[in-house]
Amino acid sequence: MSADKKWAMVIDLQKCIGCDACTVACKAENRTPPGVTYNIVITEERGTFPSVTRVHVPRPCMQCDRPPCVQVCPVKATYKMENGITAIDYDRCIGCRYCIISCPYGARYFDFGLDYSQEMVGCNEVQAPEYGVDRGKREKGKSPIGNVRKCTFCYHRLLRGEEPACVEVCPGDARYFGDLNDPESVVSKLAASPRAFVLKEEMGTKPRVIYLK
Amino acid sequence: MKNSERLTKAWYGVLVLLMALGGWAIIERIRVGLVATNLTSETTWGAWVAFYIFFVGLSVGTFLLSTMFYVFKIEHYEKIGRDALLVSIISMVVALCFILLDLGRMERFWHTFRYWNFTSMLAWEVRFYVIYIGLLIAELYLSMRQDLIRVAKGTGWQAALARFLTFGSTDLSEESKKRDHKWLKILGSIGIPIAIFGVLGGEGMLFAGVKARPFWNSGLLPVILVVSALVASIALLLVFYVIRTKLMGREVDKEMVKSLAGLLAFFLLIEAGMEFFEFFVGAYGLQDTELATIETIFQGPFSWLFWGIQIFLGVVVPLFIFFNPRLKESVNAITLAAILVVIGILGVRFNIVVPPLIVPVLQGLPWGYYYPSPVEWLSSLGIVAFGLFLYTVAIKALPIDTVEELREGK
Ligand code: SF4
Ligand code: SF4
Repeated sequence: MSADKKWAMVIDLQKCIGCDACTVACKAENRTPPGVTYNIVITEERGTFPSVTRVHVPRPCMQCDRPPCVQVCPVKATYKMENGITAIDYDRCIGCRYCIISCPYGARYFDFGLDYSQEMVGCNEVQAPEYGVDRGKREKGKSPIGNVRKCTFCYHRLLRGEEPACVEVCPGDARYFGDLNDPESVVSKLAASPRAFVLKEEMGTKPRVIYLK
Repeated sequence: MKNSERLTKAWYGVLVLLMALGGWAIIERIRVGLVATNLTSETTWGAWVAFYIFFVGLSVGTFLLSTMFYVFKIEHYEKIGRDALLVSIISMVVALCFILLDLGRMERFWHTFRYWNFTSMLAWEVRFYVIYIGLLIAELYLSMRQDLIRVAKGTGWQAALARFLTFGSTDLSEESKKRDHKWLKILGSIGIPIAIFGVLGGEGMLFAGVKARPFWNSGLLPVILVVSALVASIALLLVFYVIRTKLMGREVDKEMVKSLAGLLAFFLLIEAGMEFFEFFVGAYGLQDTELATIETIFQGPFSWLFWGIQIFLGVVVPLFIFFNPRLKESVNAITLAAILVVIGILGVRFNIVVPPLIVPVLQGLPWGYYYPSPVEWLSSLGIVAFGLFLYTVAIKALPIDTVEELREGK
């Protein structure tokens, strides 16, 4: 994968049916513990009776180009990768949670060390190789427990040439993933559409997740 | 004397008990991690952070007071100047204990020195703390040096400690006294801006710089932090002075207490005024998150903290005492008012940290909820007791009161 790729995601809200398949796929792919959900779908009701509609807004990490989480991290454990993804170095993060506080999208979660051992046998046997690092079993006292976690755009899947799990699973085909550096890519074209907008633009965070009205 | 000995024993007993409970809670926290708290990914800072900023504020406040006494030679207050420095150092120790406990990975605290993110307020804070604590210790040492030498001439463990601390120096000349005072002045003048802008201003920026939380994102917040820190510090020094003097069976300097109370009332009024505008400007903007945060403070499940503790006990009652012609003459009433003020400022700190973390940053995200867990309560009590323990030992071991006074006392 060449370094000049700048990953981005486009989510078409007209196509999102609010099924939460992305949320589930993300949990399965990243094997996130209870209380850590890299992706969620926010459902809003708009309008007053009788003309009411529901809008579903999936919310991964926006991989902001001007990320407040990176700005505030005291130890540079959170940083921007060349490819546009905001990464967390689990071996450096001290767990101060300042980044959680400063993220305008609530995209960050603290790993309290909980797991699904009540519900599932062998849930701690493997972990997702997030950021391409294989950490083996999930064990007490070992990172990422005690660290902050968030959506990685499934960087470990990108390394294998696959799309993020949420994009792959979406039954409404509402999610597009690609390279914003390539003007011919689908995401580049969609990002230029008049329907395109980003969440909380006034925050000046320059998100790499772009929505279509 | 018998009586005071029994009192001392009881005091140590209480402190040791609290420290033991706190120790258990801290071990529990280390064993299971942050699940021992009631923190969540939504309300991710809680009691420990509130106590942390409370004690950083207390440290800076007491330091500012003591340097003002030295730099401006306010003889009137010099009696408590050294005490203030001691409280300042111990507050900083306590504050750092709190924030260490709050780290998800405590064992990596040294990363904050090893890696430096220039844009992070927290990274700057840590560095300012080091400089600041060094400065505090140097100041306390210089202000005590003469008396240490005097103590060193005596016998007993205090004298031995003093001999060790003075490195055998016996220079009591006028010249050396002048030199000490000159250095105190220099350190004080460097220290004041570091304390205001670095330590406490940075502390304010820690919150005010977070644009994702509109309630914090205000230029007034760091200023409020500084002023309310001064309020809490004056109040606490007053309380310590009165209690200590009474316990030692000495006479309370009523005039000083009264003028301290005047200073306290003055800063309390300024602080209340600032808070008023902070809320007014915030609410007037009609921004959703800001309004929701203010509503949480005014009407949420912990509104009693705001109305009952922060406003009624922390401002209304003390001001009533300070302005009531009869009560303002009574040292006991003033002391009570000062204690209430300190509790009120603690409420202020909780209300700065927690409510903005209850309201979700995006509509549709879950609301937070937070009430400290038993482990958080006990560990906090334990750490505060530890601070009081250090204070008690230090005033025994070091010549915190000027020596003449000690002689009088004995
Ligand atoms: S959405 Fe939040 S966590 Fe993700 S890059 Fe932006 S500020 Fe950081
Ligand atoms: S929790 Fe970790 S990633 Fe977040 S600001 Fe603190 S050190 Fe950085």
